[in-house]
Amino acid sequence: MTNPCPACGEPIGPDDGFCEACGAELAPAAVSSGAADGALECPLCAAAGRPPAGVSPEGYCEFCGRKVPSGRDREELNVGPAAGVTDRGLRHARNEDAMALAATRVSGQPVALAVVCDGVSSSPRPDEASLSAVRAAAGSLLSAVRAGDDPAAASAAAVQAAATAVGALASPAGAPAATYASAVVDGTGVTVCWLGDSRVYWLSADLSSSRRLTTDDSLVEELVAAGRATVEEAMASPQAHVITRWLGADLPEPEPHVARFEPPDQGVVLLCSDGLWNYQPAATELAAMALPAALTDPLAAAAALVKFAVDAGGADNITTVLMPFPLAWPETSPRSER
Amino acid sequence: MTSLSGFTVQIDQNPYLPVGGRDVSAVVTVTADAEATGGAPPAQDSADGSAEIIIVDCSGSMDFPPEKILAARAATSAAVDVIRDGARFAIVAGTSTAWPVYPTDGSMAVADARTRTEAKRAVAGLRSNGGTAIGQWLRLAHRIFQSHPATLRHAILLTDGKNQHETPEELAAAIGLCEGSFRCDCRGIGTDWVVDELRKISTALLGTVDIVPDPAGLAADFEEMMRGAMSKQLPDVMLRVWTPQQAIVKFVKQVAPAIDDLTGRRSQTGPLAGGPQVGEYPTGAWAPGESRDYHVGVQVNVGAVGQEMLAARVSLVASSPSGQQILGQGLIRATWTEDEALSTRINPGVAHYTGQAELAAAIQDGLEASKQGDEETATAQLGRAVALAHAAGNEDTAKLLAKVVDVVDEATGTVRLKRKVSTADEMALDTRSAKTVRVKKE
Repeated sequence: MTNPCPACGEPIGPDDGFCEACGAELAPAAVSSGAADGALECPLCAAAGRPPAGVSPEGYCEFCGRKVPSGRDREELNVGPAAGVTDRGLRHARNEDAMALAATRVSGQPVALAVVCDGVSSSPRPDEASLSAVRAAAGSLLSAVRAGDDPAAASAAAVQAAATAVGALASPAGAPAATYASAVVDGTGVTVCWLGDSRVYWLSADLSSSRRLTTDDSLVEELVAAGRATVEEAMASPQAHVITRWLGADLPEPEPHVARFEPPDQGVVLLCSDGLWNYQPAATELAAMALPAALTDPLAAAAALVKFAVDAGGADNITTVLMPFPLAWPETSPRSER
Repeated sequence: MTSLSGFTVQIDQNPYLPVGGRDVSAVVTVTADAEATGGAPPAQDSADGSAEIIIVDCSGSMDFPPEKILAARAATSAAVDVIRDGARFAIVAGTSTAWPVYPTDGSMAVADARTRTEAKRAVAGLRSNGGTAIGQWLRLAHRIFQSHPATLRHAILLTDGKNQHETPEELAAAIGLCEGSFRCDCRGIGTDWVVDELRKISTALLGTVDIVPDPAGLAADFEEMMRGAMSKQLPDVMLRVWTPQQAIVKFVKQVAPAIDDLTGRRSQTGPLAGGPQVGEYPTGAWAPGESRDYHVGVQVNVGAVGQEMLAARVSLVASSPSGQQILGQGLIRATWTEDEALSTRINPGVAHYTGQAELAAAIQDGLEASKQGDEETATAQLGRAVALAHAAGNEDTAKLLAKVVDVVDEATGTVRLKRKVSTADEMALDTRSAKTVRVKKE
């Protein structure tokens, strides 16, 4: 593995995070920022064979007035051992979910990490909150992992970085907010960290050993944990999606949960927003859908999970990220695919 | 909310449409910045851009009673005193013909201490004798305005009688000639003039119309009108409405401070009006800090559930010799949803002004029915007006209504027509029926 630096062509070592010659970051985190697009064009007018009329600065077609889908409406990221898909779904006007993925090597061992945030719809600018959060968290997490920090400490520090980034968006108009879920997969297991109701699952090749690795910070789970309602009753209540912890200036010192899981066998780590698990919360069922494809083609498996949620109604934004364990690193790893 | 150099445009609407819904409406609040727009210094310099003409009815009836012509002279002099130094002005007298009273050569004077004194001396010599042909008066004012390239042109027109000495067609042609050339505030003194005649002029010429029942109140009214005119600093502002292809602009109405339907005044021929998707509506001149509300209704093509559409982009556009400039803009949106809690939510601003427009219509229909002797319709319409005015908190209109009907219960609109109603009260209600109150903001 001595590929040349893509920026300057000098040889680079397998563990290098940065090019020793030119200083370029060799594998920065991939972020679902929607920025990869060129000039936007209205797909409905294009389908009707009309000449492009331009898109207003606010994102509307100057001919038919329709909102032109932004790059964030659907995005697929692939960094080799980790891949993810985020989708606007069918009912929301925009995608307020965001994800960031990165893969690197520490002392020759592959490490992959992912962050998923779901902007809180009742807060202002939730789409900016989620994007700022994943970008800040993935940057912080990647640096810490490269520095060889303990993954639990690195995860907690990344939440702080995300909280600071989201807090900076607050204005007199209100405090943007988002949920948070991260996972760092290394040679021996996975370290997860979360706030709110975005989830991390372990999907085992032995389907029945699959399990959820997170517990939601939601009224539902609190009611169920207190024995005051069944899951079905709680989910049917209007407060089903009220979360009790989040990232945002209106909750200044969020206390994230951090957990470590060391799988006894082969499988895949799934991070997802509630747009997926609303339609299928059971780990075993999710594993049956994702495996075995996820072991060899995590991007295709992530896309299949998103398609399942869209076909089931697509009521919310959907984000799925898959990281096989043990980490498999294809010889030629595409960094990002659309 | 967007603020560009000059105007703030705020959109108040419910953007959610039910499945298959097509009608989008919004209240657009337009507020001119408190400071002079476009960096133009106020006072002296902008006064060069102001031109004022006062048109005084000198028909024979102004002598019956003689207080009317006396009040007209005093009011004109009071208005002349308010004209700022450097502004252009002229005074016109009208009968079945029209002539320049000051300056007598049909030009415009530059306001200063000397010209004001001269003008007042000329006004003191005004005598009443002859008929009434308002179209002739407007044509002369138009000709005098053309003698100077001022951008803020405004006239005050005073009459006490009906337009008897020319046909309605002649008056309409004269109004058409003046449209877009100058603004005109109209005042009727006494009760022998016709509200509809003056309303046609004031509507087309973007001004106000009102009754001055008592000649004693005229001077204060003229002063106020002239002060208002002098405060305007931004001429010829157009409300530009962009809509998607195949959308229909159903209406564009000014709804505060008074109802003025601009729907029929759409022009698509302006130099920057880019085809059928863009229409422009005249709003006249603006004073710094001035705020008005518009109610805009658009019918769009149906979108899919979850689809968001820009139903209209509303901009304020100023024309100047250097071209057109966009001074502010707001977006009216539409989003289709299956959630009926969202799509059926009534926007308070839209509901308020829909009610105010109904109020104005009920008053005019009620007064018309009363004139035709249809007491049943008059009672029903004026009763409805009482209830609407009460619900909206429009106290001024409620007071005017109470002079025309005996109110039994204002909440339900139960009223009895008064046996004796003064003509002046009826005309005051008619001219002021379009005045609105704004939505109470908490």
